[in-house]
Amino acid sequence: MVAIRENWRVILLVVFLLISVFALFSPTLGPDDPGSGDDVAAQGSVTNLQYGLELSGGTRVRAPLVGVTAEGVDFGGTDRRVVEQEVAAEIDGAGPADVIARFGGRPAGGQDTAQPQPGSETSDTVEVTAEGLTTDELAAALNAAGYGYETTREGVTETTRQEVVRILENKINEAGLSGGTVQEVTTAQGDNFVLVEAPNQDASSVRQLVSERGTVVIEAYYPANDGNYTRDTVLQQEDFQSIGTAQDGSGGPYVPVTVSESVAPEFQQSMRDSGLAQQGGTRCTYQVDPSSTEPCLLLVVNGEVTNAFGMSPGLAENLRTGGWADSPVFQLQTTNVSEAQEVSINLRAGALPAQLDFSEESGGTTSFISPSQGSDFRTNSLITGIIAVLAVSATVFVRYRDIKVAAPMVVTALSEVVILLGFAAGIGYPLDLSVIAGFIAVIGTGVDDLIIIADEVMAEGKINSRRVFQSRFRKAFWVIGAAAATTIIAMSPLAILSLGDLQGFAIFTILGVVVGVLITRPAYGDILRSLTTIDR
Amino acid sequence: MIEFTVPEVDYTRYTNRQLAAIPLAVLAVAILIIAGWFVMTGVPVNQGIAFTGGTEVQVAIDGPEAAAEEEIRTAFDAEPESIRSVPAQSVYVITFQSGGAAELEQQADAAGLDVRSISSVSASFGADTQTLALGGLGVAFLGMSLLVFAMFRVFVPSIAVVISAFSDIVVPLALMNLLGIELSLGTVAALLMLIGYSVDSDILLNNHILRRSGDFYESTDRAMRTGVTMTLTSITAMIVMTIAATVFGIQLLAAIGTVLVFGLVTDLMNTYMLNLSLLRWYKFRGVAR
Repeated sequence: MVAIRENWRVILLVVFLLISVFALFSPTLGPDDPGSGDDVAAQGSVTNLQYGLELSGGTRVRAPLVGVTAEGVDFGGTDRRVVEQEVAAEIDGAGPADVIARFGGRPAGGQDTAQPQPGSETSDTVEVTAEGLTTDELAAALNAAGYGYETTREGVTETTRQEVVRILENKINEAGLSGGTVQEVTTAQGDNFVLVEAPNQDASSVRQLVSERGTVVIEAYYPANDGNYTRDTVLQQEDFQSIGTAQDGSGGPYVPVTVSESVAPEFQQSMRDSGLAQQGGTRCTYQVDPSSTEPCLLLVVNGEVTNAFGMSPGLAENLRTGGWADSPVFQLQTTNVSEAQEVSINLRAGALPAQLDFSEESGGTTSFISPSQGSDFRTNSLITGIIAVLAVSATVFVRYRDIKVAAPMVVTALSEVVILLGFAAGIGYPLDLSVIAGFIAVIGTGVDDLIIIADEVMAEGKINSRRVFQSRFRKAFWVIGAAAATTIIAMSPLAILSLGDLQGFAIFTILGVVVGVLITRPAYGDILRSLTTIDR
Repeated sequence: MIEFTVPEVDYTRYTNRQLAAIPLAVLAVAILIIAGWFVMTGVPVNQGIAFTGGTEVQVAIDGPEAAAEEEIRTAFDAEPESIRSVPAQSVYVITFQSGGAAELEQQADAAGLDVRSISSVSASFGADTQTLALGGLGVAFLGMSLLVFAMFRVFVPSIAVVISAFSDIVVPLALMNLLGIELSLGTVAALLMLIGYSVDSDILLNNHILRRSGDFYESTDRAMRTGVTMTLTSITAMIVMTIAATVFGIQLLAAIGTVLVFGLVTDLMNTYMLNLSLLRWYKFRGVAR
């Protein structure tokens, strides 16, 4: 019992080490399944450590959203959709999909006539997310449409940002980019960005996936009574009840879809009216000559016609007799498989209310690290770290010429890193180069402190009683505590301010100092005492 | 066998003025360099793309260096601001002042280059990062100063610690200018680490001299034996790390290592000349020496 009481610091260190090793290697604590929006990719390695982009490879994109916002808009009781259409009509190059009117910062039902509250976040807003629109142009458009407003500004509303984040998350999951994440970040200057991280993906494919608005509509294309062709939107994103995965059938690639029951009769009717559901179906020659084709269905993705197809005789028959509406399924045909996949992803994830701004002056950042570079960095930074530790060990051995002093010193310093790694594995914090820099700082200050303890404890020959040891140890601890406090103070601003790139460094340096001062460095004192004290 | 014992310096042979003159002169030269840099270039320190904005592309090309550089220049439409090679990795680091990541990636792919990494920072984001990094450094320094004053509660020893820490940051900054090392997130991290390292040995010295009984020179001697060991151990580790990281092309770690080596060497000088002379003056005020 005496042994436990005297060596409780060492026992505490061993307990922490065991917990860390458990967190590092136990398969029961492995990373969650990657589809759950987990922070990083699960690595196929023996440890539970997770690596950030710099060490695993992948793409990180940070970009603001395109858009301008008018706040405190006086809708005067007009329906939201009507406001959107009227404002859109006043702006060149903006359709109703580019204008979002919100009551009290939320998309409300049309009957909501909440009073605008000046200056508060819940004021009524109009956002226009078309590209290249200035705040002055929005102001002019609102004036022309006859709506009063308080201010206009760059950027979009919080609600829109959250919607974008949610839809992008869906898109990334649908596209099978496992471990990809989407976050909203705010810089210290108050600028808002959307941060997308996708492990193991190259920059262009990620940018392509997230930069498109992802609108998908089905239009009917048919000759009207006067002989000119008309285009009518017959199905929109929200009209589908379920969307299948892209298939490559004998008749070419397609996406099987089910139209929701409420829209199905309407769709059936418009197919009959437009002549698409005529006897024997239609043969579409839109791609050859749009002005002389039989009626077509157009697949319009991001405002562009990507495919045109006719109606099979069987489906036309079904639509005419009205039997189709009872099981409203059909196939969206595409020209190639990747297009089918894109349509399927866009339909499932939904359309983005605003687009990410990748222009050079937008204030965004992009970084791509190839997976081979990432794994090189992983191995090489480990080797670098080991070499640095060996250098420390060699210096300490040369200085003290006593293995009883130097060996526990190196072991103690390393155990701090093991505890930190265990912590990182336990909470799933992704390791990046900045975190590794933090480990180096911890080893550095750790060895400094251990040298202080060793010199203090061994000053003037052998220690021959516990009391002498205790008093010397306490003296050494004052210096260590003071130095630790300054390091923590110095690092805390970076740990708190969320900019990401140096945050990991600051957090792990602070953690390391705390673990060092409370657990590992006192334990070193005990180890040194039991090795050097003559009379216990 | 290598001998590593901390030399005993006979401080009685030097006056406080003589001791303080060298570190103060070094500090003055460093400040002059930074001021001159500011006058000539408009910025006190050369800044990397994390702060100025720009794009950095790393490509792997086998073959002789001249041919590889030629290949790089023909691949990209924009004129590269700099091309550096990483030894032992046949990797080239190319920086561009402007140009989007997307175009550069396309051009590199079109030219058949093996792209290892691309990172692009816009100018306005870089400016934000700069404000944050400088603010962080400033707050950290201020916090450290306040804590040191709170711990020692006497002016001269406290200000001695603060001045040495200041010099430990400023001298490496001036050296970075002279050696063409850019301020990056890694070097900012290193400067922050220096605040911690710097106060370590200063606090140790102050503690031994002010809070322990015993002769001034005896206390100094004991503090030096521990303090110099600490700093030399760190310097050894950092030199080794810098070499390894440079060979492997891990720029962040190499930058941290280089700046820390500069700072730690400066710290040796500041602690045992500047800080010590101020402490001796404080201890023996009025005694002619």
